[in-house]
Amino acid sequence: MIGLIGVCALLVLLSVGVPIGVAMGLVGLVGMCVLLGIEPALIKSGVVLFESVSRYELGVLPLFLLMAHLCFAAGASRDFFAAAASVVGHRRGGLALATIAGCAGFGAVSGSSLATAATMGLIGLPEMRKRGYSTALASGAVAAGGTLGSLTPPSGALIVFGIIAEQSIGKLFTAAIIPALTQTLFYMATIVIVCRLRPSIAPPSARMSWAERRAAIFRVLDLAALVICVLTGIAVGWFTPTEAASVGSLLALVLCAIRKRLSWRSLGEALAQTLKTTGMLYLVIIGALIFAVFMSFTGLAEQVSGLVQGMHGSPMMAIVVITVLLLLLGSVLDGLALMLLTTPILLPIVTNLGFSPIWFGIFLVRTMEIGFIHPPIGINLYVIQSIAPDIPLSRVFKGVLPFLAADFVHLALIIAVPALTLALPAWLS
Amino acid sequence: MDPVKPQMRRGVLFYVGAAGLLMVMVIEVVSVVGRHARIPLVGALEMAQAAIVPAACASMILASLAGAHAVVHLVTERLPPRMRAWMSRFSALLAGLFFAGLSTGAVWLTAEFWNSFEESDLLHIPFRPLRVLVALSAGALSLIFFYRSVRPGDHQ
Repeated sequence: MIGLIGVCALLVLLSVGVPIGVAMGLVGLVGMCVLLGIEPALIKSGVVLFESVSRYELGVLPLFLLMAHLCFAAGASRDFFAAAASVVGHRRGGLALATIAGCAGFGAVSGSSLATAATMGLIGLPEMRKRGYSTALASGAVAAGGTLGSLTPPSGALIVFGIIAEQSIGKLFTAAIIPALTQTLFYMATIVIVCRLRPSIAPPSARMSWAERRAAIFRVLDLAALVICVLTGIAVGWFTPTEAASVGSLLALVLCAIRKRLSWRSLGEALAQTLKTTGMLYLVIIGALIFAVFMSFTGLAEQVSGLVQGMHGSPMMAIVVITVLLLLLGSVLDGLALMLLTTPILLPIVTNLGFSPIWFGIFLVRTMEIGFIHPPIGINLYVIQSIAPDIPLSRVFKGVLPFLAADFVHLALIIAVPALTLALPAWLS
Repeated sequence: MDPVKPQMRRGVLFYVGAAGLLMVMVIEVVSVVGRHARIPLVGALEMAQAAIVPAACASMILASLAGAHAVVHLVTERLPPRMRAWMSRFSALLAGLFFAGLSTGAVWLTAEFWNSFEESDLLHIPFRPLRVLVALSAGALSLIFFYRSVRPGDHQ
């Protein structure tokens, strides 16, 4: 009962605008005070606080953020888009395809949906509008493509999940590779289909010469090598995720210097941005961990799990119900809040049903991504609108609908074929 | 990505946080290179751990000063400005109380472990200053939010 009251209190606090980390931590702290008494609750919270800020594994988060900000300073987003546009830009819908490819590339270095949508929106959107693309398709492609930043490893959302769920971040990254690639292909297929059905919405552009294409591709080779080095290093065990983040940051620093984009100002900006986001994420993680401790004392997850098993439905049916629940919650909560609120409750249930926690991490992030582009929260839609205020929100939403349909099919595929996520980590281990 | 305010790139907190981050980066890279060159850096993990603490503390205070914490805006953005301001002060008060609780817990633990001279296994890095730093940071965060609840600043 107290667990349920805690969840309700959390939802109320979140809706009145209390910071996510504070809301979760406060509910956890007060809940533990009620369950265990004031002294153990305060001491337990103090333990969580110190263990979180001194946790070696958490160092992966600021370092990957630093790598992302340095890559951004090096002009990664523009170069990824330019390279993709040089290859497919001349085809019908080619610039939309290039935007998706650019989002996948930049998502691999940024690790954030919001940053990917905002950055690629600034580059891809004006270009597509200039070439006469429908505003709906252009804005929809950027909004949907932005979500790739959350799943494409190294992803901030997967790191947070790994810490909250105590799962290997390296395995999560490896498991996300195939789903991220297939998601990219699904989005590209959506663009091709939409352009076949309505050719006028995406006119073809002039073809670039092979010399121009080679030059554009050559410009992203260093960035691609950086991403491949980091991911391969983690996957084959050259280094741990924290070490990979450090190596990635150093390489990004070198890359900035080689590209003549390294200055005290750009380094200071990258560090300040990193610290700002790190502080925000640390608070969220501390709050979520205190909330998770509280949840473990309430036994709510075990009770819900017992209830689910008592219904004698198939595990797949339970996952479908969980999906619907997550999608409903995702329409009123933002992605991070959704993940942090549901992980301590749903993870034990899902593992009791026989599903892998790694699979659940990918599934959860994928569901969370859908929340980024569907109203009323749909934060990426608002990001696009802030970049192009003359495009009505209804038009952005219209443009994102085909991608949303592709998302549902892709999510169904991830649920139906767990090997899509688990095969690669198993093979590499 | 919105550029940060210029004053955020200056000041002690920024330099402490930035130095911590860069130190972790260098330690880890040297550790990786050393391991593959069969000259392992002993205690790299402990050094990185000690460098992460000031970086994490500074980053939380910087994010709080910048009002950069993640918030769900679904309800609040539809409220009239006066109500929104009131909610913001209420949120700050709750945040202040939360950090006061964390700070109390951290001080309690620091006092309890004060005479046990905790230190890391390999390099014998003392935990005492790290615990003090964490407790002070939680206290500072509490003060920041209590101040905000009384006098909401330009972060809104």
